[in-house]
Amino acid sequence: MSLALPVLAEPALFELQIKDHLFHPSVLYVPAGEKIKLQVLNQDPSPEEFESFSLNREKVILGNGKATLFIGPLQPGRYHFFGEYNPDSAQGVLIALPEAQWQQRRADNAN
Amino acid sequence: MRFSPSLAYGVLGSLALMTSGHSLADGRVVDKVYHPYVQALERSVEYRYFYQRQADHPDNNTMGQKLGYGFSVAERAALEIYLIADRVSPEDYKLSGYELELRWMLTEQGQYSADWGLLFELERQNNQDNFEFTTGLLMEKEFGPTSLTLNALAVYEWGKTIETEWEGEFRAQYRYRLLPAVQPAIELYVGENYKGAGPSLMGVHKFDKQKQLKWELAVIMAIDNDTVDRTLRFALEYEF
Repeated sequence: MSLALPVLAEPALFELQIKDHLFHPSVLYVPAGEKIKLQVLNQDPSPEEFESFSLNREKVILGNGKATLFIGPLQPGRYHFFGEYNPDSAQGVLIALPEAQWQQRRADNAN
Repeated sequence: MRFSPSLAYGVLGSLALMTSGHSLADGRVVDKVYHPYVQALERSVEYRYFYQRQADHPDNNTMGQKLGYGFSVAERAALEIYLIADRVSPEDYKLSGYELELRWMLTEQGQYSADWGLLFELERQNNQDNFEFTTGLLMEKEFGPTSLTLNALAVYEWGKTIETEWEGEFRAQYRYRLLPAVQPAIELYVGENYKGAGPSLMGVHKFDKQKQLKWELAVIMAIDNDTVDRTLRFALEYEF
């Protein structure tokens, strides 16, 4: 069991927006195997809660507010998340890509 | 003030060492294992129950119930107020006291190698002018689909009919997040004249939007000769 002190390297930052009770983007690609920092910006005036059992995270984001979540390191795979206050509309999936696929995706986006 | 995980580990260890003391048993040890998290806008009502059984033990047939109402007072802090009812043989069942509890989330989940929180509780026993103040560290760490939760608590008791003293309590829970509704775990409790461990099962059922019911059930067995043989622990928490 490791109870080591935190690694000081800053995790990569990703952004998720909530507008009209929808997540944007609804599919978010992230690298597997490393911790990420996910900033969730709520552009609706009402609160929303980011919730995911597979990610083991729940976080309330106040209306017109923002919240930061620290996620991972994740195994490659799909992780469903939803907005607890508006579960019928606020749905999304976070896809953790293995190193090679993540680098390929970054290269494709750069071109 | 910046949060220091190394300082927190030191305090956690020091509080755990306090559990080795010996004195009169005047508090309950088997109770909820607290997670170090608080949600903004959270509100809940909570019911907790415990029952102890061993025919030839002074704590035989002891039963306790707690009814609480909790709400967040800031993005990282929540208050809960409890009514407490106990039956300690040979006395009858009675409303024995009330308690005010503050939970404070120190770090964001996943920010450091473990997540940290603080607990403060003040309990007053009815008609006896006895008080109990509890404070300590709450820690949780993820290991893949499992979570280890530790509570290291210091308890100060004073009043008319109890000895003024410091005690230590340590609670641990190792949980497998199998499904939202079914999460098996094992729990360990160490405190004044009590050392026990056993299996537990917990889960959450969502009704609508933020309305959900959390449940916990544990059977804790003695792991030394001084501890009452069996303790049943049960809790229901409705969040809305």
